[in-house]
Amino acid sequence: MTVLPIGGGTGGARGAARRQRPDPAVRRASRTAVRRALPFATPFLILFLAIYVIPICYSVYQSLFTVNRSGLGLTASEPKFTGLTNYARALNDPAFLGSLRRVLFIGAVQVPVMLLTALALALLIDAKVAPGTKIYRIIYFLPYALPGVIAGLMWSFLYAPTLSPVVRGLEAIGVDATFTSDAALPYSIMNILTWAWTGYNMIIIYSSLQSIPHDVVEAAALDGASKWKTAWSVKVPMVRPAIILTAVFSIIGTAQLYNEPVTMKAVAPNLSSDYTPIMSALKTLTSNYPYAATKAVLLAVLIGLCSAVFFRLTRQREPV
Amino acid sequence: MRFTRKAAAIAAGATALALCLAACGSGGKGTKGGATTKNGTPVSIVWWGWAPGYEEAAAAFNAAHTDVQLKFETISAGTQGGYDKMLTAVKAGNAPCLGQVGAETFTSFVAQGALEDVSEHLSGAADKFPEAAWKTVSLDKAIFGVPVDSGTMGLFYRADLFQQHGLAVPTTWDEFKAAGKKLHEADPTKYIANLPTDAYNYSGYAWQAGAAWFSAADDAWSVTIDSAENTKVADFWQSMVDEGIVSTFPSWDAALNAAWSDGTVLSEVGAVWTAGILESEAKASSGKWAVAPMPRWPGSDAVGNVGGSPNAVLKGCKNPKEAAAAALWLSTESASLEPMIAKGGLYPASTAGQALPIMKQGREFFGGQAIFEVFAQESAHVNPAWQWGPVMTVTSSALSDGLGKVGLKSGTIADALKGAQTKTVEEIEAQGYALK
Repeated sequence: MTVLPIGGGTGGARGAARRQRPDPAVRRASRTAVRRALPFATPFLILFLAIYVIPICYSVYQSLFTVNRSGLGLTASEPKFTGLTNYARALNDPAFLGSLRRVLFIGAVQVPVMLLTALALALLIDAKVAPGTKIYRIIYFLPYALPGVIAGLMWSFLYAPTLSPVVRGLEAIGVDATFTSDAALPYSIMNILTWAWTGYNMIIIYSSLQSIPHDVVEAAALDGASKWKTAWSVKVPMVRPAIILTAVFSIIGTAQLYNEPVTMKAVAPNLSSDYTPIMSALKTLTSNYPYAATKAVLLAVLIGLCSAVFFRLTRQREPV
Repeated sequence: MRFTRKAAAIAAGATALALCLAACGSGGKGTKGGATTKNGTPVSIVWWGWAPGYEEAAAAFNAAHTDVQLKFETISAGTQGGYDKMLTAVKAGNAPCLGQVGAETFTSFVAQGALEDVSEHLSGAADKFPEAAWKTVSLDKAIFGVPVDSGTMGLFYRADLFQQHGLAVPTTWDEFKAAGKKLHEADPTKYIANLPTDAYNYSGYAWQAGAAWFSAADDAWSVTIDSAENTKVADFWQSMVDEGIVSTFPSWDAALNAAWSDGTVLSEVGAVWTAGILESEAKASSGKWAVAPMPRWPGSDAVGNVGGSPNAVLKGCKNPKEAAAAALWLSTESASLEPMIAKGGLYPASTAGQALPIMKQGREFFGGQAIFEVFAQESAHVNPAWQWGPVMTVTSSALSDGLGKVGLKSGTIADALKGAQTKTVEEIEAQGYALK
């Protein structure tokens, strides 16, 4: 997806730089370097091909066929090449479109909340406003160490309408809380995601903050900038690449949402079996592989598009 | 120097390739569908399954046979990846000869061309099973395996609380509803039963009422999940939901287990294997439960069924005759059935199995009642007309999704049936089956 043209106004200058032909000697040297590196890279390349590229190509290839059974289906299916028929079906499948809308909504609300929290925590720890930064770092990071399914089970228990200590506690003080109603479900899922991933993103932003040279911060202080001002005008712009990175990871992660809703389904039977696109694809896997492949490919393309658009939006504002 | 470097590069590449090929190649070996017999060497039949007691059953088979030997391999439970594994192996042409396939999924395997017709090797075997059990392994005149256990339904109820509230054990659904009403009026925190959110648990009620979901005739499927008969069953349960007589805890959830334990829910009309679930999940109420026949619909003596796991002969099996004979032996011989009953608590499908002495044992959880004796009588009444469909994963998830909405009042059971009907028909058409 990175083949899309990147950068509006600055594109011309960059393009010109790229077009400049390098010195022939340099080119020769780099070709030798590639040849030398190749044997070392071969094991990686083979694995990369075998478990990444080939399955992707196979999925795309499969998605162009339709399962074609006859009568009661007593004989094996003879797949028929039907081009984009599966894609037309998926794009007209209200259940699949609904799952896409759901993750889009969850991402649009949850990712900004989570990243702003992560950034704020990272800045606080970096500014050493409280003693014991190491302990805070570990505490915030801890939820990430828990496997997604375990976190899902734990939160399911806390959300469960009859067994949850939280629900019972709130009931005792007269608050009628439901975490598993149709309307509450997306927010309950967002809460798990935020709980699990804020610390992880904070660590990425924090390590980026650590690499800011001391003299820059010192210079800002000498110029009379307050801690707030330094954070906002010096530190945040300097860790922008890290924030963009965490944002892209989060967009991809949300689009591939699976563990949390699947485990929550045990306490929330109203959570449909095609709540997210991946759930929807896996549901059709055994009986209709090509259609499942189609959904997976569509999701991959959409994630690619979203990431590309996001990169483009964030690059345009970069200083030239 | 240059030459050696190039040679090294080629060697490195070749080694990597060889390693990968070796690694990739080894996956397929070892589980071929039974070796052909050479004079003296026994035929080897590989059998995939996950139920407790199967391993011991295979050992019993091997001890009793010299010409055929079973090789049992434990795989993940069907819905947890076991079925995917079998279907993938069938596609790759290296499936085992025998596989444990749940009755509700069995027909979908048949309709994907994943099973072998072994009717010619099983002539006369039908007499050894109740009609309903045998129906699960056949489609039209073809037979694809042998049933092991069955899921005959019954009424599990809290004998102590029924007595305390002055409730007679209901023999009809009308009595059942009346008892529920009486109970709920006396104590609004108590429910006579729980509406299942699991499509298969619900299916037993349709099965009993003769409200067919599918039929296969003249080489075409028909789908009747939202038929008038089905709507009748749905409306009955819906009325109990609307009147607050039944609870709506999610199937399989800890909340339901707790409700069984603490007496919030007083009964469960479920398959015979519910006994095992109650024993392990509602321990606190041990000794207080009892089993009675399933409540009946007016003018009918039919009983429902949920589940049971036949052994299927998978497509590509090179020794279908031996595989079918082995499956029949496993399902009918006491040496094989006893470990399955003792270890896995399964209820045998064959009439010979149901007559075993071990079936007359009383169970502590049920106050010493020999509950299998109830089911042995009831299994003869299981409605033999039930037919599963070709795309059950789609059907069951659509129905479960719909049933899950009933508790929150964002949908009715009738809506759930309609949703399942639409999705099933859509998938059947998309895959090119003949539909009537």
